[in-house]
Amino acid sequence: MTLRRALLGAAAAGYCVAAWAVAPGFFDGFAPPEPYRWEHPPPSVKNNPGPPLAGHATFKVASNGQVDPGSVFTGETQPQASASFLPGSFPPPSNGVVSLDIKPEASGYPDPTGLTCATNIYLFSSSAALQKDAVVTLRYSDAVPAPSDIYRAPQSGGGWTKLGSTGANAPFYIAVRTTQLGYFAACYETSSVASAAGTRVGGNQTLPIIVALGILLVVLGGIPLAFLRRRAAAEEPSTWPPRTGGRRPGSGTGGASRGSRRGR
Amino acid sequence: MKAAASRRSLPLVLAAAAVAIEWARTLGMGVAPLAAGAAGGALLLALAAGSAPERLGLAPGRWGPRLIGAAALTVVLLLPAAVRWTGAMPLSGWFAVVAAVIAIGEEVAYRGVLFAALEEVWGGAVAVVGSAAAFALAHALSHPVAFLPAVFAAGLVLGVWRWLARDLVAPIAAHFLADFCL
Repeated sequence: MTLRRALLGAAAAGYCVAAWAVAPGFFDGFAPPEPYRWEHPPPSVKNNPGPPLAGHATFKVASNGQVDPGSVFTGETQPQASASFLPGSFPPPSNGVVSLDIKPEASGYPDPTGLTCATNIYLFSSSAALQKDAVVTLRYSDAVPAPSDIYRAPQSGGGWTKLGSTGANAPFYIAVRTTQLGYFAACYETSSVASAAGTRVGGNQTLPIIVALGILLVVLGGIPLAFLRRRAAAEEPSTWPPRTGGRRPGSGTGGASRGSRRGR
Repeated sequence: MKAAASRRSLPLVLAAAAVAIEWARTLGMGVAPLAAGAAGGALLLALAAGSAPERLGLAPGRWGPRLIGAAALTVVLLLPAAVRWTGAMPLSGWFAVVAAVIAIGEEVAYRGVLFAALEEVWGGAVAVVGSAAAFALAHALSHPVAFLPAVFAAGLVLGVWRWLARDLVAPIAAHFLADFCL
């Protein structure tokens, strides 16, 4: 039994060391995001892979007289910013083409006072005024607290307005519908760290809560279980873990099933 | 003689099939994430067709220790991320469902049917290491190389539990929760 515990403990310790070497740790099912490209890396980010990239697209007027639908993405493999437009989102221009640009901004935007952003600040601009809803999607860094909402500030000047969030279509993405273009960033209110709710830092606290509940369950459930097992062991040999053959797992090479199968 | 050779090659065939399914899922998720994820998980589950629940570590009963084991494995898998928690949002909606299908499929394929096949031929220790190696290899297309040691180590933790406790329920639960949160 001691050998088993030691083996399990060693495997767990080995995992913790290996997972600590990469952020965020165990990552499975969906691929981990590529490192976020920051214009101004926050202090917690030690290795910025490079400056963020811009995006550009043009939309033509279709035969029905409406500007084609489409999307514009920034140039990263996993685009950090994008916008999607419906048919007729723009009035038909005289030259027959609407151009759209997404630019990461290093300066010149309104100061997002009171906000902590998990993305760069991007300027979405077009050669024609938007006349229908567009969907703006931003990818945020996994190395900073997750944002709660997307905010917008007009290019002509003015403060930041909370647009909210329509949810995510993939991990580490946040999207929102907007009727105007301008500066966009995904942020949370800096004061929310110490808000009355007390549990909201950026996105949420699901992971720490699950880990805390797991520890509680192991401690509160494991102690009575161990106590019951000891009492049962005093009366009869332990049946957990079940032993299916002549060789005990952890007692040497080969497993329990191997021993039993060989006997057949 | 032929039967023995066939039994020895079965783990390799299973490992190759599981890795191929995972690689196809990874490539497919670039096009249609939900459909490819669900289909990949279902195909991994299909590898266990015909296997008795007992062989896979899924025999009913002993729910108390299994629950405690699931909680302990979940804590271990999530601890490194929880310590440096940045508040990333957990999966939502259909992504959570797909994550569950993938987690169950991977556990049944690697710690279930592949583990059992390896253990029957070469014993438990080889089954733990072999299933973890196949699990890591399966993630070679979807993960940067730097992540693979952690995936291999996670496979070892779950495999050791599977070996010592003869149980797959706890690894399935822990794997899903880890996928869901990260």
